[in-house]
Amino acid sequence: MDTSLFHDLGLLDCVIFKRIEPTKYEVLYNAQDWLFELLPETKSQKSFRFAQNSLYLEDFLIDAEALWISKQPGSVDSGIWSETLPSRELLQLEASAMVCNQQEYLVIHKLKDKFTQKQQTLQIARELLLSNDKITEQHEHLHAQMDELLSQSERTKAFQQPIINALEQTDLGVAILDSNLQLVKGNPALQTLFNDTHIALKLPVDRLILELFKKQYPEYDRVFSTRSAWTGELCWLNPPEQGKWLKVAIHPIKNADQALQYWMFSVSDVTQIKFLLKRNEKLTHFDVLTDLPNRQYFWQQLENKIKKNRPFYLLYIDIKNFKRINEVHGHLIGDQLIKDLAKRLQSVTRVDDYIARIGGTEFAIIMETDYFRKQFASTDQGQCKTFVQELIRASELPFYLESGSQCEIGLNVGASAFPTDSNDAEELMKYADLAVFAAKKQVKSSLEFYSKKLVDASLKRIEMEDALQKAVTNKQFELFLQPIIDISSSKIVKAETLIRWRLSDGSIIAPDEFIPLAEQTGLIVPIGKWVIAEACRFLNELKKTHQEIKLSVNLSPRQVADRQLLDFIKTTLTQQDISPELLELELTEGVLIDNYDKVHYLLTELRTLGISVSIDDFGTGYSSLSYLQKLPIDHIKIDRSFTMSIQDNEQDQGGNSAIILAVIAMAKSLKLGVIAEGVETDSQKEFLLRNQCHIAQGYLFSRPLPFNEFCKLLNTKN
Amino acid sequence: MIQKKICILGASGVGKTSLIKQYVEGIFSEKYLTSIGVKIDKKIVDLSSEKVQLMIWDIEGIDRYCGFQAKYLRGASAFIIVTDRTRSQSLIEGNEIFNMAKEVADIPGILALNKKDLPTTWHWSDSELADIKHPFAKSFDTSAKSGEGVEEMFSYIAKILTE
Repeated sequence: MDTSLFHDLGLLDCVIFKRIEPTKYEVLYNAQDWLFELLPETKSQKSFRFAQNSLYLEDFLIDAEALWISKQPGSVDSGIWSETLPSRELLQLEASAMVCNQQEYLVIHKLKDKFTQKQQTLQIARELLLSNDKITEQHEHLHAQMDELLSQSERTKAFQQPIINALEQTDLGVAILDSNLQLVKGNPALQTLFNDTHIALKLPVDRLILELFKKQYPEYDRVFSTRSAWTGELCWLNPPEQGKWLKVAIHPIKNADQALQYWMFSVSDVTQIKFLLKRNEKLTHFDVLTDLPNRQYFWQQLENKIKKNRPFYLLYIDIKNFKRINEVHGHLIGDQLIKDLAKRLQSVTRVDDYIARIGGTEFAIIMETDYFRKQFASTDQGQCKTFVQELIRASELPFYLESGSQCEIGLNVGASAFPTDSNDAEELMKYADLAVFAAKKQVKSSLEFYSKKLVDASLKRIEMEDALQKAVTNKQFELFLQPIIDISSSKIVKAETLIRWRLSDGSIIAPDEFIPLAEQTGLIVPIGKWVIAEACRFLNELKKTHQEIKLSVNLSPRQVADRQLLDFIKTTLTQQDISPELLELELTEGVLIDNYDKVHYLLTELRTLGISVSIDDFGTGYSSLSYLQKLPIDHIKIDRSFTMSIQDNEQDQGGNSAIILAVIAMAKSLKLGVIAEGVETDSQKEFLLRNQCHIAQGYLFSRPLPFNEFCKLLNTKN
Repeated sequence: MIQKKICILGASGVGKTSLIKQYVEGIFSEKYLTSIGVKIDKKIVDLSSEKVQLMIWDIEGIDRYCGFQAKYLRGASAFIIVTDRTRSQSLIEGNEIFNMAKEVADIPGILALNKKDLPTTWHWSDSELADIKHPFAKSFDTSAKSGEGVEEMFSYIAKILTE
């Protein structure tokens, strides 16, 4: 067949060179005028060398040469580039270097339709990206501003005017609702959201948004009952006229005690963005980042699956702590991780399963169970568990980043079952969402099945959260002190402060039961501040009675992340007129690793002030010795689990005594103090004494005591 | 005449192509047209001591559709990270791109805070901005529309590359 036909059809709009020797080429095929304009050196010569007429192409020859020298069959592509010819024509080109039949070739394609198509798609996609970015940024900025202004409850009145000004100036529709979802304030932009529709709304805009949210998202109840933030898109239909798409962010605003003060809704009209999306079918149904079906498309598929009436599990998957990954590695890497994770999840799913990306960090999978049984058997949960374990295993393999570092991802998975839990799409999603919310409470990747028990546990947790909230407001806490002893002299050298929650009936709740909840809900920040303030008050009391002794206070990860912590400590010390040398802060190893930069800054500042720092529960977390060297740390505390394993007969101690000895030796060489926790028997005490660990705490010496009793003990001992 | 390769990097939509068009051709268009791949423009800078030909590599915006390609920095003498003053996300991404570029090329990085003609809508405090600017050899407030800061930025680069 005549090649001119291929040429006319645009199939052969390329030139082909054969590499004769390094830097020397021969033109094998050229039916194009543009070649001589682009590379005049190819004209009227059998062989030629490149003469710096296309910088991009010549740069690509470095990669090409690597392939040619290897002689391995294959090809490398240059990527697209543009060249302006002397005639001002703009060319879009792409080159490929190849090895074929032990010959080396260079092909340059002139792109026409492919380029136009790619540009059109990317043009829409990027316009969307920019609009989305802008809107998200507006929402986030507003939330940050409002958080700062509204969370300061005592000062709210003083800030009324700035809040009103901020609301009136923003382009976003903003509604501030009280904790019972009654409108407190709406801004002008909220009122004008529907102006262009020329329709008198039957409901105020804030009510309409709540209605739409309730009807369109099964997450509605969970978001409000758990005071969670939420972002998504709502569709307002207005037949026969065109409807509206609204991007809505719902944000709880809490005061300094973490009590819910207001709900803030920020709303923007994204109808135009949706209109752009519709211009490209792929963008309408598929997520642009991962190429997986999007939420809308997933919803259709879920309805279809239900119609088929075959049992399946609906899995709702959320990436664990993704916000932190974005903060540490940046958004570009965050996006890449989501892309890679989507591929891994896809590789685990089977042909009959259906996977989609239904939110920023959320995926959903419809997992088919056995086709031939309509009812679930007990083994079905086993099938689902096995499948989710595979998903988790795939996600937890390290992701290697371009920077050379690596990153690991965990998953929260919630599952609801069709038809046993429900045969309604909306309910299935709602139940899976509740289950994933429960899975989020686990430290490690986990799967939770929807069940009545889970709902009850979730309600109990909400009750406990409310009670804890009230405890913060009503200051229902007490601070106990556990002496830390120099076992060679039996004197009290310092004391660790330990919080207790006293209920109105007089019963006491131990910290293990409420601190994890306080940490999750952020209540740990006001609780932690109370502890520091109370410890400083004790120090002041001790000072008055000339019994000055150091007190240590535990810091949680969330407190370390609190930007006001350092100022708070300084102010409290000044108010109570306490020397910083009398305060010690205890951090766990996990805190050091997770927040290295923040911790480094914080500890350096604390050291400058004169406050000492100890590492709590040493040996139970991930210990990097280099951190111990780099950070200004004063003491390490050997975890009670090691101390308690010291038996009467030293022969039985196994590896634990070796660990204790190693910790003592290491602490000595790093010039750190070492404290043994959880000493309960004389033999443990003797062991520590024999091995040069002189400072210890535990029930053998004293249990944690109320302040008055501690003072009496201090008086007797010292 | 010495030649120097300069790479223009940044998130999409920050105005990389517009900056180059303003510098090389003195033209500005309001319409946003996304770039695909790479386009190389040349311009001679006449310094008092000598002439330098800048080979300016306009590289497709780095975003979820197009990743960072270290190979484009091969042989470059400097790079410019362009950001959009009306989108704070572009500065965060610019900072990430800066770090990736520095990992593969030990060459000066210049920060262009573009779209100066538009009201700034990002919310960085002065000290935050100073922190962000710190690792860059220099930063310039530019406007591809009015041309403000553009000539000055490229002349600065030509100058430091010949010193």
